[in-house]
Amino acid sequence: MSQKARILPGQRIDLARPVGIGFIVVAMMPLVILPLASIFIYGFAKGPVHFWQALVAPAAIFSLKLSLITSTVATVCNVLFGLIAAYVMAKYNFKGESALTIIISLPTAIPTAVAGFALLLLWGRSGLLGQLLEKTDYQIMFTTSAIILANIFVTFPLAFGVIKPALDNLETSFEDAAETMGASRWQTFRFVLLPSLRGAIITGALLTFARSIGEFGSTIMVSGNLALKTQTAPLYIFAKFNEGDVEGANAIAAVLALISFAIFSLILFTRKRLEK
Amino acid sequence: MAREMTALLNESQSFLETKTEGWEALRVTGLSKVFGEERVLDDVTFSIAEGESLVLLGHSGSGKSTTLRLIAGLEVPDNGEIFLKGRSIGHLRARERNVGVIFQHYALFPRMTVAENIAFGLRIRKVKKKDRLKVVDELLSMIGLGDQRDKYPAQLSGGQQQRVAIARALAYKPDVMLFDESFSALDPQTRVGLRREIRALLRRLRIPSLFITHDQDEAMELGDRIAILNRGRIEQLSTPDEVYNNPQTEYVATFLGAANVIEARWSDGLIALDCERRLAASVPAHSINDEKMKIVFRPEDVSLGQPTGLVETPYHLGRGEVLDVTFTGASETLMIRLLSSRRPGDTGSECNMVIKVLRNKWDARRLMLKQGDKVSVGLKSYKILEG
Ligand SMILES: Nc1ncnc2c1ncn2[C@@H]1O[C@H](COP(=O)(O)OP(=O)(O)OP(=O)(O)O)[C@@H](O)[C@H]1O
Ligand SMILES: [Mg+2]
Repeated sequence: MSQKARILPGQRIDLARPVGIGFIVVAMMPLVILPLASIFIYGFAKGPVHFWQALVAPAAIFSLKLSLITSTVATVCNVLFGLIAAYVMAKYNFKGESALTIIISLPTAIPTAVAGFALLLLWGRSGLLGQLLEKTDYQIMFTTSAIILANIFVTFPLAFGVIKPALDNLETSFEDAAETMGASRWQTFRFVLLPSLRGAIITGALLTFARSIGEFGSTIMVSGNLALKTQTAPLYIFAKFNEGDVEGANAIAAVLALISFAIFSLILFTRKRLEK
Repeated sequence: MAREMTALLNESQSFLETKTEGWEALRVTGLSKVFGEERVLDDVTFSIAEGESLVLLGHSGSGKSTTLRLIAGLEVPDNGEIFLKGRSIGHLRARERNVGVIFQHYALFPRMTVAENIAFGLRIRKVKKKDRLKVVDELLSMIGLGDQRDKYPAQLSGGQQQRVAIARALAYKPDVMLFDESFSALDPQTRVGLRREIRALLRRLRIPSLFITHDQDEAMELGDRIAILNRGRIEQLSTPDEVYNNPQTEYVATFLGAANVIEARWSDGLIALDCERRLAASVPAHSINDEKMKIVFRPEDVSLGQPTGLVETPYHLGRGEVLDVTFTGASETLMIRLLSSRRPGDTGSECNMVIKVLRNKWDARRLMLKQGDKVSVGLKSYKILEG
């Protein structure tokens, strides 16, 4: 790499190099870097005290908490599902296995607004399952459960997608060895497979969490967007901005951005450690 | 390693030394297995005595691993029975059979240390931690890896990994040890050293073992007896000496070492080869003329002499011409084309029987030969295969 790029004395200066790098930076400025930077620049424009006040407003704190809780629940559900589905599909061969894999992966391809709308159709008052709920006191739409359902739906294949290849790459001889040594299926899974999948599980969980904490399109359809009730952090940003409260929107936006950076670094970190 | 080994042999009574000799440890009868359309194993029967080692030798795809997996319970047979220590285990799950398996790539658990790997079988058997540590320590010093206990498998060499795999299986005192091509992933030098060591260890511990290999040297060295598997059938099962010197089929003869196989038929109590060549029978003569058979002899069973004289061997093959000489140090290999002459001096060349001959250094020196030389060819011994 560096060998190729080094300019030796007497050699012609290769203009393509600085121009190429310059192009990347210039193109990214308005597209990626400046938008991100402005969140922090404007957030602190009126001083840290202002920023802090905007952050600790009850509705702001509530929205952050709600986002963290719903994303965590969705992450736990999807990691568990991904783990079980990957194990079953690695262990047994059955008809329709590839069809099932495609269906599991489908939710990422569906626009989030469509996903939210679909959930509304199912669980809403006149929906297929909603009608059944109508007779009870229990409601799903426009509650925390709806947000969790939406999160689960849009992040469904992420954990599975990371865990399945990791499991496929594990040699079956580990399981055979454990079995001949007297281990039950559960013991084999618990002591042999699970430790080897740790990295994939962590990466899958982080991806799922990152995706669900930022989810907007499906959440706004199913949550009802009620402040202090069903308003997640992204919805709070949108609502505050619409009200003209730019500082309020900005504070939460900065926090969400930081959370995303943190998760992103963690993913890079686990990848690196796994590669070792 | 050699020093460690002698230390091991002198070591006093170990926790593993509780086996008694004499009776049958493993018996397999009429084992058959079909995968899809393919009959992978066909009526395989053998037994291993307590303390004995049996080698299953065969080409790739002959069904060796399948046999092992059936015994271990990792695969279900279509037919046949398996007895371990006299009890039928065919209906038991793999984990209830108490067999030790050494897989080709060892299958050491990557996220467990060496010590944890070795202790795994005991942990599953709910052995107390204190007792586990004791066994692990004893095994680690036995395999000479006492200082590697906290390493992970990826940090060990292939040979070390294999020792750990063996220790891991020995830890829970299996009733039989099964090795699936366990030496093939090692470099040749480590391989030879390690298999001597393992063999000595298993002899000392008197653990019945089944080795699987496609390497004939390995089979000769590891096996008290060798079973040669061809397309799911056992072609011959006997001691290495018998299998090598008294092969029952052409497959066995050619699989174990180099062999010259020549088609022939009975003719008035003699054996008639192509090119009007006759050979005195090495067995009581067959009365039926023209019945087909084959004669088999090893390259080292051939003696070469001056073309004018007769070689001092029981059987005379006639004259030949040296096609090629390859010198390999301790010995030399020659390719000889047999000439179709019945009388000396008559040089017919339409005969195309080529045989391989192996001579030791001293025989080679006594009669130096080069390409194109004429020789007379004799056989010290040969085998007759019917059909
Ligand atoms: N699970 C399976 N499903 C279908 N066919 C199988 C299965 N296991 C083995 N076979 C087939 O059975 C035959 C024998 O396989 P086996 O693994 O026993 O051979 P082997 O003697 O161990 O060969 P190698 O020396 O290459 O390991 C092969 O043709 C293989 O394709
Ligand atoms: Mg095999």
